[in-house]
Amino acid sequence: MDMREITDTIGTFKPELIPKETGGNLDDYEDALHVLMKFMGSMSSALEQVSGRGANAIVYQAGKRMGHESAKMMEKTDDLEKALFEMGEVLGHEFYYVKWKPAAQDSYVIQKDNEVTVKLLFMDCVVRQTLRRTGLPQKGPLCYLLYGYMVGAVEEVMDLKAKVDIDHVGPNACLKTLTIKWSAK
Amino acid sequence: MVEVIIDEDACVGCGSCVEDCPNDVYEMDEAKNKTKVVKEEDCMACLSCHEICPAQAMEHRDIHVAKRLYIDRKVNYALERII
Repeated sequence: MDMREITDTIGTFKPELIPKETGGNLDDYEDALHVLMKFMGSMSSALEQVSGRGANAIVYQAGKRMGHESAKMMEKTDDLEKALFEMGEVLGHEFYYVKWKPAAQDSYVIQKDNEVTVKLLFMDCVVRQTLRRTGLPQKGPLCYLLYGYMVGAVEEVMDLKAKVDIDHVGPNACLKTLTIKWSAK
Repeated sequence: MVEVIIDEDACVGCGSCVEDCPNDVYEMDEAKNKTKVVKEEDCMACLSCHEICPAQAMEHRDIHVAKRLYIDRKVNYALERII
């Protein structure tokens, strides 16, 4: 059987076309996104199979590094509200989150001793979409990528130690608690 | 504000949503053996209840519906032609 022949990409390549032209159309982007989602899902489940619970730590570390790198260009601040806004810009529209609190609670931010906690509701999340595309459960290693990403970005912007805990995961939104320790660097 | 509507005709009273909701938005109405909404203001629209409800008896209004880019548009197109 002959190899598949693609004729609609026959053209002239000039160096100056980059980065103005990407080639392909929206359907190609969709195909690429779905293939990447499947790759990510396969990698995540294979990592878990090989490393067990250690998979979470590996992915967390990868996410944390990404977070630090992404936030390097951001303005440093001690103001949590400003940091959250800046991080929203870095994470982009694919990780849309808002602060959340129960109706009976007065403030979004809770200060306790040298710790500050704020609950974040992640509405749009590429990780969640990837898990649904590949049929994997939430709260697995791939979720730790976003974990690490958030922690890395917070640490970079605020120059403080931070951690994120998953409170609840759902098909439309996930609730996480961001904790910042003022005294730790 | 989020509005949660329970279809009482559809609800089978299994209580799965009551157990699953992290913010105790639902309670069982023992007299009717149906779920009732008691803390609508605490609903964060995670939609875990939708996923777990065997009767698809609930509806959430005025929520941010997350993007569903994982859905294959070609599959949707094929489904539309069949249904």
